[in-house]
Amino acid sequence: MSEQNDAACSTLNVAYKPMATLWLIIQREFVSNVLTSRFMIGFLICLMSTAAAVFVQVEDYEKRLAAYHIAVQEHQETVRTWDLYSQVNPKAHRKPNSLSIFNVGMEKSGADMVSIQLATPIWEKEAQKHGSDNPFLSIFLSIDVIFIFKIVVSALAILFAYNTISGEREDGTLKLVLSNPIARDTLVIGKYLGGMLSLFPIVIVSFIVGILIAYASPATDFNSADLFRLVAVLILSLLYVSTCYLLGMLLSVWTKEATTTLILSMFIWGILTIVHSNIATFSVMKFSLYQPQAEKEMLQHIEQSWEDFKEERDAYLLKKWGYKYPFSAISLIGEGALAISINANSPGELGFGEFYEIKPIHIVDVSKLQEVLGYQEPLRIDYANQAEALLKQREQVEERNRQFAKDISRFSFADAYRFAVGAITDTDRESYQDFMRRARRYKRQVVDYLSGKNAFSARAWLSNDQGTAEFRDLPVFQNPHTSLFQSLSRASSDILILLAWNVILFIGMYVSFLRYDMS
Amino acid sequence: MIWHIAKKEIYQNLTTLRFVLMIILLPILMIANALIYGFGDAGYTAEIRDYNRKVTQGLSHIKAYAAKGLGELAMIGPSEIPKYPTQLKFCADGADAFIPRSITIAGARGSRSGYDGGVVEDYRWRELWSLEYLPSNHGGDATTLIKIDWVFIGVFMSFFVILFTFDAIAGERARGTLSLMMSNQISRGQVLLAKYLGAFATLIVPLLIGVLMNLLIIYLSGSIPFDSGSWLRILGMIGLFALHISIFIFLGLFFSSRVSNAITSLVWLLLTWVCLAFIFPSLLGLFVGTLDPIPSIERISAEKRLQLANIEDEFQPREMLEVTKLSEAPSVDNPSATRHWATYFRRRSETRTRIADARVDQQLRQVQLARELTQISPTVCFQYAMEGLANTGIVSYMNFVKQVRRYRDTFIDFIKTEDRDDPNSLHIYPVREGLSQKLVNPDVVPRFKEHISYQSVFFPVGLLIVFNILFFIAAQLSFLKYDLT
Repeated sequence: MSEQNDAACSTLNVAYKPMATLWLIIQREFVSNVLTSRFMIGFLICLMSTAAAVFVQVEDYEKRLAAYHIAVQEHQETVRTWDLYSQVNPKAHRKPNSLSIFNVGMEKSGADMVSIQLATPIWEKEAQKHGSDNPFLSIFLSIDVIFIFKIVVSALAILFAYNTISGEREDGTLKLVLSNPIARDTLVIGKYLGGMLSLFPIVIVSFIVGILIAYASPATDFNSADLFRLVAVLILSLLYVSTCYLLGMLLSVWTKEATTTLILSMFIWGILTIVHSNIATFSVMKFSLYQPQAEKEMLQHIEQSWEDFKEERDAYLLKKWGYKYPFSAISLIGEGALAISINANSPGELGFGEFYEIKPIHIVDVSKLQEVLGYQEPLRIDYANQAEALLKQREQVEERNRQFAKDISRFSFADAYRFAVGAITDTDRESYQDFMRRARRYKRQVVDYLSGKNAFSARAWLSNDQGTAEFRDLPVFQNPHTSLFQSLSRASSDILILLAWNVILFIGMYVSFLRYDMS
Repeated sequence: MIWHIAKKEIYQNLTTLRFVLMIILLPILMIANALIYGFGDAGYTAEIRDYNRKVTQGLSHIKAYAAKGLGELAMIGPSEIPKYPTQLKFCADGADAFIPRSITIAGARGSRSGYDGGVVEDYRWRELWSLEYLPSNHGGDATTLIKIDWVFIGVFMSFFVILFTFDAIAGERARGTLSLMMSNQISRGQVLLAKYLGAFATLIVPLLIGVLMNLLIIYLSGSIPFDSGSWLRILGMIGLFALHISIFIFLGLFFSSRVSNAITSLVWLLLTWVCLAFIFPSLLGLFVGTLDPIPSIERISAEKRLQLANIEDEFQPREMLEVTKLSEAPSVDNPSATRHWATYFRRRSETRTRIADARVDQQLRQVQLARELTQISPTVCFQYAMEGLANTGIVSYMNFVKQVRRYRDTFIDFIKTEDRDDPNSLHIYPVREGLSQKLVNPDVVPRFKEHISYQSVFFPVGLLIVFNILFFIAAQLSFLKYDLT
């Protein structure tokens, strides 16, 4: 504490120089913070839990990445074995995002793979996960660096801020300090900057240690854009810390006793970081005006639309060619045993594929069947797309509720911080939905590709005896990262909320302190 | 004297800001809990409706296939087995979204048909049923949220306990009242006990009021029926709340008597609390992937594919044009062909069952390990005990899996016994034609009945008591050594 005294003494001697005084106050604040036990404990806990969280998440990321590579490779091998057009079943794989090590977001709860089947609508719920070896482990709360910052560092910031004003008033040091030629605003700014100066090292060191641990893993290869994103996350974290600190300071100005400040600010902290968004989300989901259509009802609807498809098809076949079933188009031209089989999806499933196998094919004439297929398969895909639109509608209602819940949660700066970081690390729901959107678009591409080749009416749709199907230039699924600019613009509203909180809290605190009653 | 101090403590607490905050927040949380779980269409009502529908489906399924003969029933097996939904999910949600609500039955159909020189040969078959442990699909992104159940409220209570006890000793010392109190004829142990009782009473009474409000709302909403058993379990849960609160009071008294400054004790307590409530449970839970790795899902499914493909290659059941082991369809007159088919079905079903059972066992073992590790946190013990009483969480699923497997054996035994009684049967299991064709009385077919076991409660409760004793001793020792001046 001698440092403090030195600071106080030297203030007496110097004439009023705002910058020099400000610097002195910052120094004093910094030293008195750093020497406390809370700094040591907080630093240690923050550092260790960050390191542990990154360690765990890196391991998880490595596993997911390996699973992704295996899946992609397996898929490529499967593509090579296809020799019929009807076998086409490309997969849209989602590459794990290396930044998910720091902010998991939707990364693990979302699907990693969408199987593109022509006659199956793409539905978020049916999309598959391949990364999780043990889905039951999800019952343990997934913890990442952002979670630790959101909970631990914010608590720490409040623990640093609660006694800045009320504590000093209680000790009587506030009066002493202000008896010097120091303007109140200099004091406030000095205290704020001093607090920041002692909190920032905790955040920065923990974050850098986290990055180093992640960097040490051979699986991660951060490019410059990733590093830029990480820096942006760090800056946001600092901004968040500053918000929490300002909240603590404001309450410290408003209350008379340090204990009251602490209790009140811990209470508000608990509500903002833990309770608020949970209650908001649940109430919106439960009591929203827009309730999505019941799933069973919708699935029945889709089943019905498959029946409609069959009806339309059969009516057309009967009218145009006089066939009762597609099979009637086959005519026998040779002698021998013949096996015809249909493989259809079972009625409970969403999809409605039907595949024909005719063995041996040389004793029959399938040219008429090819014509039928050329008509029926595009129709089937149309019906699948209609079903997809239905499913999408339901998703949109859910999405609107989710958005509403998000808007309410945003009110808390802890959640604004979470959303902003999610947008920047590209692991939020938005980027997950980009993936689903791209998967749907990819399906259209594949269909266009096939119809461009007249694949539906080709002989290679059902038999490889006269040339196999050719998939050499099959479009490849692309799922690029959201561009940096777009990520930033997605995060912008939340960043603005964080900034606004900072400004409001600072002004509130500043004004209140100017009117503060010392006695 | 003890009572005197305790009373003083209570009065003092009642007038503080923290008490006001608690008395506001606790009912809000309790009411939010009641509204979220008690109202709306997605809660218990929907679950029990779903369950009843599945049970009815199961009965009509058995009836339909029993009428087709024993052979048919033996191959298709029972239908999807639902897990009984618990009423007390609002008390302990137990990450319910990740717990599958049923175990499904896998079975495939196959057929071959063709014209063999003008003679139509057509054979359709059904593969032997096996259990399929599908992961839950109730997920979505809401699963990443913390659920507002009683367990969460309990965790929040522990936070308030900290706010109430951090200055119990150090604060009094700072004000100088501690020395005054000790100048009376009273031992240090008694002071500590009085402080404990005072804090306990201040905390438990608002909690009880909150619980009553919560139960009243849920009871009046009428969406969750309570029987005497569930009232007992709720009583047990209140006991768990008390145990949990008591641990944190001792912890607070311990830190408060370790340090000279109340604020330092609060800092320590808060950081301890964050670690116990959030950091330890999740980090330790995630570490098991490193401690006890299990083969990846890709490897398992590749292995399964390979083994099934080998069987397929050996038997080639769909092949019409070449001669294979299964060229002849099974029939009562052709025992050797029937035996071939039985081998085919048995090998497939054994492979599938072995791989699926081993997989889910590995996963559950990993979770079990994680649970054991995380129990070093009293908050987690509290959570597990609550889940045990509410019959939610992963343990209830483990019990369910065990019972379903037992049911599988019962069902197969039933088929074999019934078959043995029929003299006309070939007694070749498992193939439709090799078994008795007589009709089965659907009422004698064994049904699945779930027995709820509360065994999983004992260990965490034991740990909670141990924690209480440990922290009591720690607080006692630390206060005995405390420097009053």
